[in-house]
Amino acid sequence: MKFTILTVDDASTMRKVIALALAGAGHDVIEAEDGMAALDVLKLRHVDLIITDVNMPRMDGLEFTRQARTLPKFQRTPILLLTTESAPEMKQRGREAGATGWIVKPFRQDQLLAVVAKVLPVAA
Amino acid sequence: MSTPIPDSLQQQLVNDLLIESFEGLDRFDRELLALEAGGQGDAETLNVIFRVIHTLKGTAGCLGFGRIEATAHVGESLLSLLRDGKIDVSADRISALLKLSDALRSMLQHLETAGDEGTADHGPLLARLQALQDASSASPPVAADAGFGLFDDEPVAPAPAADAGYGLFAEESAAAPAVVARPPASPPAEPEPSAARASVSDSAIRVEVGQLDKLMNLVGELVLARNQIIQNVAQPDPAALLAASQRLNLITTELQGSVMKTRMQPIGNVWAKFPRIVRDVAQELGKKIALVMEGQETELDRTIIEAIKDPLTHIVRNAIDHGLETPDARLAAGKPEEGRIVLRAFHEGGQVNIEFTDDGRGIDVPRVKARAIQRGLVTADQAARLSDREVFGLIFLPGFSTAEKVTNLSGRGVGMDVVKTNIEKIGGSVDVHSTAGQGTTLKIKIPLTLAIIPALIVTSGGERFAIPQVNLLELVRLEGADAQRKIERLYDVPVYRLRGQLLPLVDLNRHLRLTPAPDAADVVSIIVLQADGRQFGLVVDAINDTEEIVVKPLGKQLKGLACFAGATIMGDGRVALILDVLGVAQQTRVVSAVRESTRAEETRETAGIDDRQTLLLFESRRGRHLALPLSQVARLEELPLAEVERSGRQDVIQYRGQIMPLVHVSRYVGDEADRPATTDGDEVMQVVVYSAHGRSVGLVVSRINDVVHASLAVRNADAREGILGSAVIQQRVTDLLDVEGIIRVAVPSFLHHGDN
Repeated sequence: MKFTILTVDDASTMRKVIALALAGAGHDVIEAEDGMAALDVLKLRHVDLIITDVNMPRMDGLEFTRQARTLPKFQRTPILLLTTESAPEMKQRGREAGATGWIVKPFRQDQLLAVVAKVLPVAA
Repeated sequence: MSTPIPDSLQQQLVNDLLIESFEGLDRFDRELLALEAGGQGDAETLNVIFRVIHTLKGTAGCLGFGRIEATAHVGESLLSLLRDGKIDVSADRISALLKLSDALRSMLQHLETAGDEGTADHGPLLARLQALQDASSASPPVAADAGFGLFDDEPVAPAPAADAGYGLFAEESAAAPAVVARPPASPPAEPEPSAARASVSDSAIRVEVGQLDKLMNLVGELVLARNQIIQNVAQPDPAALLAASQRLNLITTELQGSVMKTRMQPIGNVWAKFPRIVRDVAQELGKKIALVMEGQETELDRTIIEAIKDPLTHIVRNAIDHGLETPDARLAAGKPEEGRIVLRAFHEGGQVNIEFTDDGRGIDVPRVKARAIQRGLVTADQAARLSDREVFGLIFLPGFSTAEKVTNLSGRGVGMDVVKTNIEKIGGSVDVHSTAGQGTTLKIKIPLTLAIIPALIVTSGGERFAIPQVNLLELVRLEGADAQRKIERLYDVPVYRLRGQLLPLVDLNRHLRLTPAPDAADVVSIIVLQADGRQFGLVVDAINDTEEIVVKPLGKQLKGLACFAGATIMGDGRVALILDVLGVAQQTRVVSAVRESTRAEETRETAGIDDRQTLLLFESRRGRHLALPLSQVARLEELPLAEVERSGRQDVIQYRGQIMPLVHVSRYVGDEADRPATTDGDEVMQVVVYSAHGRSVGLVVSRINDVVHASLAVRNADAREGILGSAVIQQRVTDLLDVEGIIRVAVPSFLHHGDN
């Protein structure tokens, strides 16, 4: 099944890496370069999954997650945080913001696809 | 389940990584230097710096570049401590972080040229970065927001990043986090045999999407115009063809402008590395230097940016190395300990001006002369006759170097001559001014683009030639008797007296051995050109028109011809050669040959006194000829009479956000006492703006005549009101205006600050 996935990262190379992997698995990918841009996307589009970086200019991933959760359409949409830190504080903050899970950078493609498959309603 | 990323895509991603990372590291350096200059810095600056390394680490890791990732990781740890305020910003830490950016850059460069990260050992640097973290309170090298307490719902000790590749918060308490091995370094991109390949980051630029859309629109318009013209071939309709070609003209011009714009880049891209160079070189030489940059957003064509990169860098190094003194020497000379280098860029007259100013020791004229004699560049006799300005020109001669000892910075055999050659190669010019003890200013003028240039089309010997407009000063046409009479011969060189200055002439027909047109003798067309800071006149059969020409390089066989810079194709499909003005001047030796002889004559005229200055010549109401040193003139303006207002008894005008008093010069040189000094019928007045103490006064004159470089041998020193003395300039008795005296009388408040 084909899903629409929003990937949010200020590094365009990272967005491309993710987009390539997900497109390879047959998904549609929308890119946004920070939390603000991502919120704009959410106002216009339906997405099935959000993968967001944490540390970004203008609006970081945690704040974006909090704001996304206030939108009625995205209360249950899975949100994965891309992070280089998997310390408990980070996890705690992610959880409190309303994220579904986390992926530690760097990751391998199959790791990314595995966790994506896990959170999407029907396995791709 | 996942297919590996294909090589071509991997290569594309690597290219993206390189571009993004080089940009990021430049920003990293810039922000670090700003931080060093400005103390502790705010959280956002630190976060920007942190994010560069953070992003690089993440992306490089995902693409399988473990060494870059590991190196970045160490820096990231240090930066996260800095960002969270756990340790302080110190010079040591900044130096180490700058070294880190060098190390990362070199690995990325290796990746770019050889396809892998290289094997350079960065162990000592990493150890140093590590050690610099320990200087703080023992805090974990993980970024943690101090504002949060530890939550206890995860009782297990934090798993290292490598073990927890991903997870879901919902599963966490139940299932153990999925244990995934650290990604093995995936095979790096196919090494490309590409030592000669242009750097990736140099071969790509960012263009705004809006700009691309506009280009596409214009191309659409172009297609429509083409269709109309093709249709016209089938069914000729002169009116429609005329309309279509006008449209085509408009569209092409606009398209040309738009494409040019996409190729434009801010000069700041080249300057970006200067703060770092200044810091490093200054530190190495034990000097203190502040770098000020103005006009970074000034845009230039890419190819020109490329061409000036090295010359500009060399000039900056040269200024640090030779121009500025050590702190001790500066203090001894009564200057602030810290030297200043100011870079300014701005557009003017279709050209880009770049100025380098330092407040260093200036060019030491006697020493330069001595060195030039020693190197055999000039004879002692010639040296004695050189003006300061010409002495400054000596530093651009090949084989000249004044450095007492050869340093590894600027004394590398690549001298200012190479700088000058490179700038002139792209149609630019270099000019230097210096005051002993006060500093040096280097002015560079370069064209905006090289591909399409405005040029004057001339005909000589039945052939057409294009002369780049940049070199062109003016056109002189002599008719009938004048054609014979006004051209004199001086030391076997034909010369023409242009406003009192001897202008050496080159006959293009003779130089290129062309057969002159039969009627050429009646009319002489002289094109006054500038080359190498000197003027000469080129005599051609006819002057046609100015045109924008597309520059095409000459074929290999013709490259060696110094007098041609290229070729272009004219509207009728025929080829015209582009004259290389500098080449022609050098080949005919006209510039240097006459320079010697004119000087001899001038020396006689001024009886050995060389106190030549640049003077502004103008007239008062009654046609009195007045002069003012150009150095006292801030600007020349034409201001509308209607805007003159009165404040008290003073005429004033609003000028650049200030109220500028106006002084009618005629009233103060005993010319006419009470007539209003406005020019009847004219709607504008000629104003010479004089500035001092940050304020301006406008001198209203009747006519501005010329700017000349002339000797100011004041013959009549009995100063009258408003006049310092008189001199003969261009065969006319000219009074030298006493600006300060006039202003003291006319606007007493103006000079108050200065007098006290």
